[in-house]
Amino acid sequence: MPDSGYPWPIQTSRLDNGLRVVVSEDRTAPAVAVNLWYDVGSRHEPAGQTGFAHLFEHLMFEGSVNVAKTEHMKLIQGSGGSLNATTNPDRTNYFETVPAEHLELALWLEADRMGGLVPALTQETLDNQRDVVKNERRQRYENVPYGDAWLRLLPMLYPPGHPYHHATIGSMADLNAADLATFQAFHQTYYAPNNAVLTVVGDATATDVFALADKYFGALPARDDIPPAPDGRSVPATGQTAVESVSADVPAPRVYIAHRSYPFGSPGYDVITVLATVLGSGRGSRLYQRLADGERIAQPDLVGAYGVDLAHGPAPLIATATARPGVSAERLAEGLAEVVDELATVPVTAAELDRAKALLSTGWWRQLSTVDGRADLLGRYATQFGDPARVADHLPALLAVTAEQIAEAAADVLATDRVTLTYLPEETS
Amino acid sequence: MTLIADRPGPGAARPYRFPPVVRRAVAGGQVVAAHLPGQNLAVALLLLDVGAGQEPVGKEGLSGVLAKALEEGTAQRDAAAYALAVEGLGTALSTGLDWDSFQASVVIPVDRLHAAVELLAEAVRTPRLDPADVRRVRDDEATALRMDWANPGPRADAALRADLFGAQNRWGRPMHGDPESVAGLDVEDVTVFHSEWFLRPGTLIVAGDLDRIDLDALAAAAFAGTGGGPAERGGPLEVPTHNGRRIILVDRPGSVQSTLRLGHPAPHRAHPDHVPMTLAGTVLGGAFTSRLNHLLREVRGYTYGIRADFAASRRFGRFAVSSGVQTAVTAPAVVEAVGEITRTQASGVTEDELEVARSWRAGQLSVELQSPRAIASALTTLVVHDLPDDYHARLREALLSADVEQVSAAAATHLHPEALTLVIEGDAAAIRDDLQATALGDLLP
Repeated sequence: MPDSGYPWPIQTSRLDNGLRVVVSEDRTAPAVAVNLWYDVGSRHEPAGQTGFAHLFEHLMFEGSVNVAKTEHMKLIQGSGGSLNATTNPDRTNYFETVPAEHLELALWLEADRMGGLVPALTQETLDNQRDVVKNERRQRYENVPYGDAWLRLLPMLYPPGHPYHHATIGSMADLNAADLATFQAFHQTYYAPNNAVLTVVGDATATDVFALADKYFGALPARDDIPPAPDGRSVPATGQTAVESVSADVPAPRVYIAHRSYPFGSPGYDVITVLATVLGSGRGSRLYQRLADGERIAQPDLVGAYGVDLAHGPAPLIATATARPGVSAERLAEGLAEVVDELATVPVTAAELDRAKALLSTGWWRQLSTVDGRADLLGRYATQFGDPARVADHLPALLAVTAEQIAEAAADVLATDRVTLTYLPEETS
Repeated sequence: MTLIADRPGPGAARPYRFPPVVRRAVAGGQVVAAHLPGQNLAVALLLLDVGAGQEPVGKEGLSGVLAKALEEGTAQRDAAAYALAVEGLGTALSTGLDWDSFQASVVIPVDRLHAAVELLAEAVRTPRLDPADVRRVRDDEATALRMDWANPGPRADAALRADLFGAQNRWGRPMHGDPESVAGLDVEDVTVFHSEWFLRPGTLIVAGDLDRIDLDALAAAAFAGTGGGPAERGGPLEVPTHNGRRIILVDRPGSVQSTLRLGHPAPHRAHPDHVPMTLAGTVLGGAFTSRLNHLLREVRGYTYGIRADFAASRRFGRFAVSSGVQTAVTAPAVVEAVGEITRTQASGVTEDELEVARSWRAGQLSVELQSPRAIASALTTLVVHDLPDDYHARLREALLSADVEQVSAAAATHLHPEALTLVIEGDAAAIRDDLQATALGDLLP
């Protein structure tokens, strides 16, 4: 394996209006990934406007000054491309991968919706996409067993007023109340070139991309008063545990244990990433070996632990297990807590550490095996840390984590403010 | 004006080339490999000529239990030691099943590929299959399926499949079985299935930098201790379509959405209309801008998304529409979906729509076939369906040259709106009367 975590060139530029442009050339396949990170997410939403950043993301596909409604999708797919967008608490990203000869089209489309969305935004479009998003909420959160776990964990982990207190999908009441003027203002406030990073990876030269970026984005005005999200970096420990038990139409008891850890990008979070892998990734993990294979109280396919990669506050660390038939929620919760707590008391062995690092290493190279995977990472590092080249440090940082650091992080993170969410099957009549 | 109004045209296209394919007979088995120079990751995939179609009726889910049992210890080491050995290399044994084949694979940095293939073969060829372990895995799989079947979808899928293909046939039952069929398996079912099918050599698929891979050594590891020839495949099945539409309601009390599965039988994979059928399915429901998604999502706001496609295995195929729609609009959503299928069958596609569909499908070949995993999957298609090395190049040409007449003819021939089975999984009390009132078909039972 190469020594660097990113063995491709990275070139950067900044337009006069503040748009940062990142290019990573790779001629292997005749495809090019275009990716825009806008530094706006649900953490920017004030009370009463939950879900707006995500609903807005939908509106970005519905036409702009020179692009008719539905034409964006049609032009990208009609070029052979794949496209999508996602919103999370931290940011909103838009991306397409196209055959390389359509790079200019993709940049034109992105520029048109960055600079020309508002005149094309209609009440009809808003009403339609509000319905679509409400259906998304039903499909992903309301109509599936345990589907609302994330919606319940966030307010338990983060106090009212914290930017991560509410979930990105938002509440039905807020979505119903959304009005057109708010979205027009949302675009004017946040969708400015100096609040975005444009990344292009694949079959294109940096020189060409910089020139095209200037051609299509260069005349868009910067905005100099973009309001920051509330500061969520520091969440004082309360010393309290939070426990919630939900009776729902679920097939078996399930337990989540969650803690606030450290922000993504910090050395502490690198330790948490390795810790979570030791704890809950794969059949060799502690949770699998102890709960699924050893005591056999948990369903083998449904034990796990992971960090959620959020950068603007202490990111969640979550461990979960689902009961085997005949095992009570209490028994499962005890077993899960015991294995989690032992991270602070039972030292991680060299074999456990090697296993975790090998899995993380392969996972990293898998993520980098496509141009779209690389583009999103470069956009993240440019947006959140000001330098896309920092992407190369991530894997070496994970591989340098020690057992002592894991024990220290466990003692620090797991000692207080534990959140426990339990699902219990409803009594059937 | 700060924006450029004129839409740019395309630059010069650089043609897509599928990587060079290497085929070789080694140690009693076949090796099919693609050379990806400079790629740090590699994939090795052992493809066995046994799919869900070979499971006996009543034993659905057998392959899934066997797949899980492979990792419960081998002739050389117990389950925990096996997990540590595989994951210590940085990989995991990944298994998959479809109607025609079973596959076990690893994705791993190329310098560790050989060790990973040895471990893969150890599990597939020499699993311990201790009876107590097999019973536990079976029980866990039954529970896992029960968990999965608590989600919307699996029950509707099963109802559609049974109605299209007949529950007396293996292919009329769920590919991965259901909680009851798995719970009813015994240890001998699993051990016999293993000795009958998993000790034949099969095909080793490799995608990676072949300058750093010794294919002969990999094959020797993958095929050690194997024997026997390929299975009898059987020809395409004659699956009749129904006379008249029917509605099957699967009750999910309190559901805030209704899950739609609308379908009918369709041709098998080797049918000469495969490409125009694929394009007709794309115009109707395969892309974001397709007719169904445009009408039901972008115009009506009934759903987060709706799609339609033709899917085919060696012996049979089906056409199906899938969606989740808000409960209150279930009946109008089904009416509109059937309307679009009917319109497409009767009037075909337009050049404007087809242009998007053919460019998208052709372009996806260069956009999606990037990673070793995607290349390995493409090689698997070549092997399972006996396709030539230049298949992807030919496919691209076939997609780009399909015209409106061919695709409209495929829609006219292979869509059967009058014979659709309309499975709706939702809150029956809330939607039954509305569905009945649509008069789209007989409500069963």
